[in-house]
Amino acid sequence: MRRTLALAALLACAPLLLPAVARAHATLVEAEPGTQTRLREAPSLIRLRFTEPVTVAQGGVQVLDRSGAQHAGAASVSDAGLVVTARLSGLERGSSYTVRWRVTSTDGHSPSGVYNFGVGVAPPPPTESVGASATTVKDDLARWALFAALALVLGPLVVRLGILRGDAPPALERRFHLLTTIAAFAVIDVGIVAFLVRASNALQLPLGDLLYGDLQPFAEQTRFGIAFLVMTVGFAVVAALLALAWALDRLDLRLPALALSLLLASGLSLSGHQATEPNATWASELADWLHLVAACIWVGGLVTLAFVVWPVAPALRRQAFLGFSRLAVGLVAVLVLAGGYLAVVRLPEISALWETGYGRLLLVKLGIVAFALAWGGMHHLFVRPRIAAGRDPRVRPSLVGETALALVVLLAAAALTNASPPPPAADRPSAAGPSR
Amino acid sequence: MAPRPEIAHWLTGSVCLLLGLVLLSEAIVGTTVFRRRAWRAYLWPSIALGGGVLLWVIVVFSTFSPMHLLAHAVWAQAAMIVGALQFAVVRGKLTSPRWSLVTSGALFLSGLAFILHEQNPWLYSRSAFLHHAIGWVVAVAALFPLAEALRPRAAVWRAGFALTFVVVAVLLYADRDLAPIFGHLSDVATR
Repeated sequence: MRRTLALAALLACAPLLLPAVARAHATLVEAEPGTQTRLREAPSLIRLRFTEPVTVAQGGVQVLDRSGAQHAGAASVSDAGLVVTARLSGLERGSSYTVRWRVTSTDGHSPSGVYNFGVGVAPPPPTESVGASATTVKDDLARWALFAALALVLGPLVVRLGILRGDAPPALERRFHLLTTIAAFAVIDVGIVAFLVRASNALQLPLGDLLYGDLQPFAEQTRFGIAFLVMTVGFAVVAALLALAWALDRLDLRLPALALSLLLASGLSLSGHQATEPNATWASELADWLHLVAACIWVGGLVTLAFVVWPVAPALRRQAFLGFSRLAVGLVAVLVLAGGYLAVVRLPEISALWETGYGRLLLVKLGIVAFALAWGGMHHLFVRPRIAAGRDPRVRPSLVGETALALVVLLAAAALTNASPPPPAADRPSAAGPSR
Repeated sequence: MAPRPEIAHWLTGSVCLLLGLVLLSEAIVGTTVFRRRAWRAYLWPSIALGGGVLLWVIVVFSTFSPMHLLAHAVWAQAAMIVGALQFAVVRGKLTSPRWSLVTSGALFLSGLAFILHEQNPWLYSRSAFLHHAIGWVVAVAALFPLAEALRPRAAVWRAGFALTFVVVAVLLYADRDLAPIFGHLSDVATR
């Protein structure tokens, strides 16, 4: 009887999969030339199809070449207002073009968007559209906050699962739970902000209009967009696992949360320079992921020592410090090896360190890292033996200082991630002329 | 890539209806009777937390506009936080009735997100009307958990809280962007 009722309930819900048309707001569903497509021949017409009727103002559709020259004529609507068309002229083979569109939908909103297409060539990503600005300090800060949030998920989980195994005082457990769960939500929220900041550089819209900007080309046709989508849903699952671990006292749920977080961190590596530059390989992607994960565990571990273990669980300080000290040696080795490899891959020659902006930024980062490592080394050489001998030196201020320095390292790393590295040696113009 | 919006609205409406009916059942028969089977106590936190995670899938399908992306992100987070807290309440980790204030705040923020993400006036179209109606219903319904925090165990607050989700479900099922409302549809909308 119960099975019959359950089946009947499921059948009753089936029509939900085939609802009547409700329509949301006017969104671009089809474009010719298509978004981010490579065409063989130059098109003579641009056609944009929307989900609901729209109107278009003079200059509502722009097709711009790399110099910014306009190639679209006056736009008009057809097919009951669903389609916007404009004639194109003067398009050449071997060039890429940026389409900027802005319409007013029947619900009164003014959606707008940008995308590229190439004629005989691959189009640049939407972030490199004509009129797009380069990354700014806002991008750096958003990326930094994302790294920091990721560190606050990974570090505490590694310390709790790897170093402070077994029972912990309730106050310590609560703080672990609170920190990691809030950090998991922060990864999602900061990821959204970082994505919007990046898209706004290309859309170039005032805030009010940006709220109706079309993000689909960025979300679906760029690596960072796809990484954003996967990381958003993935970290929602991580946040749910961490919340359940706390609410149900199911501490074993933190292990899949850590594994999933480590996996999702690869999204940043698979969408960064180490995956998109012409000489990128699986080895550079792997090295970048190891570098990022090691840095996040190091920074997050320091935060855990300074702000979780030290103030809340004096009895566990010794175990935590000695355990983290051993782990830090491995982390530093991974950081240095992976970072060194990436520097060799990214810099075509040693002089690029002082001749290019990217190289100079890398030098600054190396300087701060060296300072932080020296600070950590001081802990390892002078504080560790005293703690191992059973003494309780006043080390927290120093731990807080090292944590602050580590966060500055993350800021430098964020700026470096957003900076453009010099082209690989094979792509650089030689004295005899361009290499290709 | 994005599914038809009505599918998202109707599925969300179904989750709201399920949640509302579960809460209403508990409000009608009383907590003692409803929780004779222990798993029933976990129904509402599970639906809220699971629904919140599923809402994140809707978030990533809402990249056609930042306004929708942000609004859906608010709802997803609010549902997850409330669900997680309710799990802790059911397990006895959180005992103070004041934790209902979090539910109250989450509802208020969710209602606010609804109202802010609809920029047209009430009678612009049925969709605009429903967005305003849902926003105000949810924002005003924040009073129920607020009252629960101040005067716990009053059945009327629980019934009101449960009915809120039933009403929101009905409103979500009725959503049509360009349909008239009370025989009225804006000239701009019909142009």
